[in-house]
Amino acid sequence: MGGTEAARPNRLISSISSTYSKILLNPSYRYLLLLLGAPVNLVVFLFYLVQRKKDDYAAAENRIRSEMLAAGYLEALRTEIMEQQKRKHGFFKQKVNEGQLRQEVDKIVQARFQEVLKERTGKELKLNQQKRLTMADTFGSLIENPLFFIISLIPGLLMYILIFLYSNPYLKYILERLVMTVFVIFGVAVLVFTILHLSPFNPAANILGETATPEQIAAFNKMHGLDQGYLTQLWNNIKGIAYFDLGKSFSGNEEITSSIARKFPITLTLTVISLIIAIAIALPIGIISATRPNSFFDYTFMFVALLGLSIPNFWQGLIFILNFSIKLQWLPATFNPENWLSMIMPVIVLGTGLTASVARMTRSSTLEVINEDYMITARAKGLGKRTILMKHAVRNAIIPIITVIGLQFGGMLGGSAVTEKVFNISGIGSYIVDKQFIPDIPAIMGGVVYTAITISLVNVIIDILYAFFDPRIRSKMKQY
Amino acid sequence: MIKKLLSKQETKHQLKSSHEYSQASFTWVISLTLTVILLLNSFDFTGGTIKPWVFTAFAVYALFTIIQIIITLLIRRDLRSQGEIRRSTRILGYIQLLSIVTGNLFTVTFGFNLIKKQKPPEYTIAVYMLLTQLFVIAVSALNLFKPYVSNTFLPAMATLLIMAIIQLVALILVARYVKTNYAHPRMIWLAFPIILTAVTGNIFALVLGINLLAKIRKNGNPAMTRWGDVWVKLTANQTAMSGLFFVVFLFCLSVSSLFTFDYSIAIDNNYSAILQPPSLAYPFGTDNFGRDLFSRIVFGARISLIVGFASTAIPVIIGGVLGAISGYYGRHTDNIIMRLLDVLYAIPGILLAIAIIAAFGANTVNLILALSVGAIPTYARTMRANVLLVSTFEYVDAARAFGSSNFSIIFKHIVPNSLAPMIVKSTLTIGAAVISTSSLSYLGLGVEPHIPEWGNILKIGSTYLETHSYLAIYPGLAIIALVLSFNFLGDGLRDALDPKLD
Repeated sequence: MGGTEAARPNRLISSISSTYSKILLNPSYRYLLLLLGAPVNLVVFLFYLVQRKKDDYAAAENRIRSEMLAAGYLEALRTEIMEQQKRKHGFFKQKVNEGQLRQEVDKIVQARFQEVLKERTGKELKLNQQKRLTMADTFGSLIENPLFFIISLIPGLLMYILIFLYSNPYLKYILERLVMTVFVIFGVAVLVFTILHLSPFNPAANILGETATPEQIAAFNKMHGLDQGYLTQLWNNIKGIAYFDLGKSFSGNEEITSSIARKFPITLTLTVISLIIAIAIALPIGIISATRPNSFFDYTFMFVALLGLSIPNFWQGLIFILNFSIKLQWLPATFNPENWLSMIMPVIVLGTGLTASVARMTRSSTLEVINEDYMITARAKGLGKRTILMKHAVRNAIIPIITVIGLQFGGMLGGSAVTEKVFNISGIGSYIVDKQFIPDIPAIMGGVVYTAITISLVNVIIDILYAFFDPRIRSKMKQY
Repeated sequence: MIKKLLSKQETKHQLKSSHEYSQASFTWVISLTLTVILLLNSFDFTGGTIKPWVFTAFAVYALFTIIQIIITLLIRRDLRSQGEIRRSTRILGYIQLLSIVTGNLFTVTFGFNLIKKQKPPEYTIAVYMLLTQLFVIAVSALNLFKPYVSNTFLPAMATLLIMAIIQLVALILVARYVKTNYAHPRMIWLAFPIILTAVTGNIFALVLGINLLAKIRKNGNPAMTRWGDVWVKLTANQTAMSGLFFVVFLFCLSVSSLFTFDYSIAIDNNYSAILQPPSLAYPFGTDNFGRDLFSRIVFGARISLIVGFASTAIPVIIGGVLGAISGYYGRHTDNIIMRLLDVLYAIPGILLAIAIIAAFGANTVNLILALSVGAIPTYARTMRANVLLVSTFEYVDAARAFGSSNFSIIFKHIVPNSLAPMIVKSTLTIGAAVISTSSLSYLGLGVEPHIPEWGNILKIGSTYLETHSYLAIYPGLAIIALVLSFNFLGDGLRDALDPKLD
């Protein structure tokens, strides 16, 4: 019992030191590690400098150097290089004076000498099975001392967290993915702001009207910070997005983030409901079509799917309103959060494109795996048709389908602007469209960037889910 | 027992492998659907009366659908009893040719396919070329019912008719003298006038001319070029050809409408004819300013095609070049380019377009630019994936060993060999661009409101939904037909080019 308890901290420490040495070899993580654990690394570096002096390597190097000097290697090298340089200058017909030539030769000789010395020392050490001391070795020997580990825990906490994250491939992958997302979101904010900033329109003149005096316009610009430079405004907007405080909109005197927070859930609810319904319809249709390729079912379903891809959302909405609200009077024409009947039409209209593309993707990716060898094996084993389809075909075909769903979700969230306008839904899409006529820079920016953030987060979650669904991706992640 | 099973298998296989049989089944299903739609539309449900014109059309359609079903059954019998289609059945195809007066594209093309046993791709292309020309003439001739026509109407119609006659002669000659691997050398004198008739925008004529010249050049050589191979596969695919037909038809109509349609009928207010229901003078009725909806839709096709093609071509070129550079050079170049494009990729296309239009104003040029910017990353990714694959091939190493520069390796060797997925992808996304165009116009963010564009027409129509719903229905149908055609064509191209798409 005592043995295992002693082994546990040992294993922890050995894994820390091995990860430390691994990170030092990684070109991009190295600097991060050195920076995060700067105080600890400084101590380690001092120890390293001290220990290196009495290292096997230093001793062997000194010995070999004196051996080489005694053998007259340096002189022989110098004459050889001198000869070479002279011949080279002769060939290219270059005129070089004596001093310059000597300088050149000295430089080359020094470099060559060091190179040979290093090579011979390395060979010698290898023969005697010795190793050159590295920074990671010093760290490893230091951390074996529990006192050092405990003292360094506080100044080097960030470094240890990094080591912990790096040692686990999933955590490392998730961390990298999140850092990438933060950069992308930052880029989106910069891009959208720059586009709106370049606009030739003058929001002040649009809102205050043609009769506005220059003083009024200047006051307006001052109130909304429009008189500041590009970088200041950009920084303020990015800060506003991070702190959920984008100030007041240009017209209407409302808090932008609070109105976005009011409108966003409406759009998100509609999108998620239609996403779920779309998947529930599309997956079975795609699988049925794939199991009976080129049958009447298949052709009909796929034709309907293609039709669904080709119908513009707003036209479909108009036709629905015409038939179900005006002619038959079954469903209300405008959206009202309290009345669930009014959700039916927008949900169907939003989900049509997604249903169509998921059904097409399901069909093609199931068709691809359905002729694989392992399907024949499964059939030969005598498995039931259902089991074969569900466990062997669909599980292998699901990855590209999830990708399509993730991509389409973004398209749906962005494309909801049109549907919201048709059904008079006060969601984020119609908010952006209403604000663009001014143009109300912080409001448009907030709407677009928060939508982009949502989409990016959904895609991160999907990417992480892959790792849990697909053992192939998991094993690839471990190797990397 | 076993023998019976075997023969059953065999017939099934024969039925499946017969191209004519599958086309016949497809045709009667589509034709029946059209007939039912006409039947439903011929009744006025509120008044309980029958619309005589629509009902007549229904009757004619029903007649040809019945003939089609009979032919399908005959083909089935022939294939079962003899394994091939009899001459007497093939002759029935001439009856289906008559259905051209109804404008039923599917039965006509089926008729043309049935009467000829060996069909080189040139024959099919020639059929579609002639049909396109005839459809354009028929649609343009509807202007005769208008109170006045444009000054160039008569000469333009005469030119179109002469071209149609040339193309008819060409079709007959192609049917007689062009075989699968051989074309009569004198056909070269036919190819040039055919190419000339393509000035009306009839792309089929251009393709036919080029194909004829190519075939004459390699007469007797059984080798297959990529171009020829693609056309063999594409012409065998009925849905893809219907899609291509509609796109070419709209393009040809847009070009001819410059001379045969009067722009003023589409844009000038005519208060004596406000909100007229569909009639012969106004086939789709008139809107709230008395403008002819039919002419507006015809002129709107031009905008949709221009915006669709331009906003696909720009990102294909920019994204393609960025993707090629990124895939070829790899490492840091790749990282920088792709990470920057990730930023663009994170914003949904429509929202980015709205932001750009909000900043720079709503007009056609800004619309094209706004739609293009959002589409760059997808094309760059497709191109990069292909370039990564193609640059591992031996001919790239060979080119490098010869001392070609990186620039010439990329654009002479790698890019031409990684174009197939780009072509397929761009065909499929032109449809999406058409939808985006009309959606943005509907929101008031696209084409300027005074230009007859399909989204703009729909915007007006949506306000008259209750009283004059045809104002919203017809432009929507036009959009769906165009997008559906591009999707059919894209699917067909994907099958013909067979790129490994993700």
